[in-house]
Amino acid sequence: MFSNNIVENSYDPFQMYKKKPETASPFNFVERSKAPVTTGTSVVAVCFKNGVIIAGDTLGSYGSLARFRNCPRIIKVNDNIILGAGGDYGDFQYVKDLIEQKVIDEQCLDDGFSLKPKSLYCWLTRIMYNRRSKFDPFWNNFVVGGLQDGVPFLGTVDKLGTAYCDKIVCTGYGAYIAIPLLRDAFEKNPNPTEQEARDLVVKCMEVLFYRDARSFPKFQLAVITKEGVSIEGPLDIKQNWEVAYVTQN
Amino acid sequence: MFLTRSEYDRGVNTFSPEGRLFQVEYAIEAIKLGSTAIGICTSEGVVLAVEKRITSTLMESTTIEKIVEIDKHIGCAVSGLMADSRTMIDRARMECQNHWFVYNERMTVESCAQAVSNLAIQFGDSDDDGAAMSRPFGVAILLAGIDENGPQLFHMDPSGTFVEFDAKAIGSGSEGAQQSLQEMYHRSMTLTEATTAALTILKQVMEEKLNSTNVEVMTMTPDKLFHMFTKDQVEEALKKVTSLEHTKGDVSTHSQSEVVSTDS
Amino acid sequence: MTAEVNSYYPDYATETPKQFQFSPYADNGGSVVAIAGDDFVIIGADSRLSTGFAIYTRDQNKLFSLSKSTVLGCSGCWCDALTLTRILSARMQMYEQEHNKVMATPAVAQMLSTMLYYKRFFPYYVSNILAGLDTDGKGCVYSYDPIGHCEKATYKAGGSAGALLQPLLDNQIGLKNMQNVTPAPLTLEKALALLKDVFISAAERDIYTGDKVNINIITKDGIKEDTFELRKD
Repeated sequence: MFSNNIVENSYDPFQMYKKKPETASPFNFVERSKAPVTTGTSVVAVCFKNGVIIAGDTLGSYGSLARFRNCPRIIKVNDNIILGAGGDYGDFQYVKDLIEQKVIDEQCLDDGFSLKPKSLYCWLTRIMYNRRSKFDPFWNNFVVGGLQDGVPFLGTVDKLGTAYCDKIVCTGYGAYIAIPLLRDAFEKNPNPTEQEARDLVVKCMEVLFYRDARSFPKFQLAVITKEGVSIEGPLDIKQNWEVAYVTQN
Repeated sequence: MFLTRSEYDRGVNTFSPEGRLFQVEYAIEAIKLGSTAIGICTSEGVVLAVEKRITSTLMESTTIEKIVEIDKHIGCAVSGLMADSRTMIDRARMECQNHWFVYNERMTVESCAQAVSNLAIQFGDSDDDGAAMSRPFGVAILLAGIDENGPQLFHMDPSGTFVEFDAKAIGSGSEGAQQSLQEMYHRSMTLTEATTAALTILKQVMEEKLNSTNVEVMTMTPDKLFHMFTKDQVEEALKKVTSLEHTKGDVSTHSQSEVVSTDS
Repeated sequence: MTAEVNSYYPDYATETPKQFQFSPYADNGGSVVAIAGDDFVIIGADSRLSTGFAIYTRDQNKLFSLSKSTVLGCSGCWCDALTLTRILSARMQMYEQEHNKVMATPAVAQMLSTMLYYKRFFPYYVSNILAGLDTDGKGCVYSYDPIGHCEKATYKAGGSAGALLQPLLDNQIGLKNMQNVTPAPLTLEKALALLKDVFISAAERDIYTGDKVNINIITKDGIKEDTFELRKD
C-alpha cells in the first residue's frame, strides 16, 4: 500500500515492517534449483552395430571456473544400461541415487528380471517432466544407452522431459559441434563397427575440447555390448595445438 | 434365510461363516416392501409402469415421483426407500451429464447402470474408506434406455448387481408380476401391447383399484426418447386394459399367476 | 540487481549476463496436415524434432494412433506432446474397459478438448490435429488450440508451418478465391498428392519442418502407414 514511493530513495517509515524482496542470491534456497551450479558439459553418444558408446569429460565447472577435475558422469546402471549426464552435477547425483536404489530394489526381488533401457528412459521422462511442471526442474540432460532385447537403444531426456531416440545423441555444445561430424560420418557409414564408433566419439571429444571452453582433456568412455558394460577412463584427449602457431594473434 | 440369523448381521461388511452379507440380504428383503414397478423392453422401445401408493385421500398424488428422467435417453423406475433412490438418481444424472460433457455422446445404458452400481456398493462402517453410506441402499431400480445397442432394460438391486432384462417387475407384487410377465412376454411385442400388459399385470397385483392417479407410465422410444404419460394418456392406456379384460369376460377372478394374453 | 550483486560479491564484481529464467516450455517445431474425404482421412506430420537452430533428430514420428480409426498429430512443445499422448492412450484404454467399446473419433475429439482445458492455466503447449473416421465411416478432422478450443473441419494444417499451409489448402481443397470451378469429391490420390506437395512447400520456407513426412491413411480397413522424404537442410 505504501510501496509506491513517489520520490525514489526517500525515507520510508514502514520499511522495517516490509518483507524484503526475494532475490536470486546463492543463499536463497528456493531459487537455487532454478539455475545450475556445478555443471558438466557435453555428452556424446552413438549406436553402433551391436552396442552403444557414451562419452563425457570429467570436469565439474563452477560457472567459468574449472573447479572439479574428476567428476565422473557416465555410470553403469546395470548389465544392460549405461547412463550419461550433463548439466547440474548435484541434480545428477540425486537422480543417480534414485536410479541406484531402483536397481537395488529390483535385485532384491531376485526374479531374474532387471531394468531395461527403454523403461529407465521412460521413467526419466516422467520424473523430469514432473519436476519441470513444479517449476523446479532437475537441470540435466540424460543420455540412456543400452541393449533392449539385444537391440542397441539410445535415447535422451532433457530438463523439461523432452525425449527422443536416435542413433546419434549429443547434449550441450556437442549438439552444435559433435552432431554435424557424427551425422556426416553416419551418412557415409550408417552401421559402424565398435572400433569405428569409438574412433568417431574420441575424435568428437577432441574437437569439443578445442572449442568448448567448459571442457576438459580427460574423459570417460562407456561401451555396452552383449558382452557387458565397460567404463574406461579417465582417458586423455590427445591434443594437437600446432595449428595455433599458424594463426595470427 | 432367517434361520442362520446371528451376530453376523450387524456389520455391513462382515461375512457370516456361511459366506453371506446379512445387511445386504436384508436390504434385498426391504425392497420387496416397496410399491410394484414393471418394465418391459420391446424392439420398439421400453415401457415402465409403477403403482403409486396413495395412503390418504388428502395426499397430493402428483408429488410421488417414482419414474424419473436420468438423461433424455435414460429413464428409471424405483421401488423402496424413496430418499435413498434420490441419491442414486442424482449420481446417475451426474454421470450421464459428465459423460456427455467429456465425450459429447450419450452414455450407454449399461455404463449408467455400472455407474449407479459403483455408488450402491459404497457402504461401510468406517469413515476412512470413503464410504458414501453407512448401510446398503434400500432401493430396487429399473433403468430403461436407448443407445446405439437399441432399447434396453436393466434391473439393479441393493447389492449393486445389475442385469439386463426383457421384462422385469420389482417391489411388493414383483413375484406374481414376474410370473405373469414370463407368460405374457414375447419378442415381437409392440410397445402398445407392452404398455397394456404392464398395466394389466399392475392391476392384478395392486391392492387398490388401478386408476390414472395411482399409476405412472413412461415410454422410451427412439424418436421421442423419455416420455412420461400425461393423465389423459394414462387414462387412454387404462381403457385398453379394461376393454381387454371385458373381452376376456371376467375381471374379478384374475389371479396373480393367470395368463393374460395381449394379442386376443 | 547491481545492488544485490554487490552485497554478496567483492566491489569489483560486475553484473554478469543474467541466467535465462527457467521456462517450462520449449518450441520443438513440426507441422501436421490432415485431409478428410468421404470414406477416408489422411494425416501427415514431418519428422523433424528441433529446438532453435539445432535439430534434435530427423526421425521423430509425431503421429499417435489412438484406435483403429483415430490418429492424433502433435507438434509444439514435445515434452507436453509426450505427456498428453500418454494420458490420452491411457484414457482410451480406460474408456474401452469401462464402456466395452472403442472410443469413437467424435468422442476422442471432445475428450481431448476437455483434457486440454483442464490445464487452462498451465496448458499443454501443443498444436493438435485429430483425424479419424466417425461412427458412419466418414472422414473427419478436428483441430485444437493449446487450451482446448476445438473445431471440426475437412482439412487443416497446424504446427510451425500451419499458417503457411492453411491458405494453400483453402485454395486447393476449399477452392477458395477461384472462379468457375465446380467442387468435386476429393479422392484419396488427390489428397495424398496435395499432402506431399504441401509439405514440400513447408520444408522450403519453414526451418522447423523437413527431413521426412510420416503419413497415416485411415480407411474402414484400418490405418496404413507411408513415408515421404523431404529436404534435410
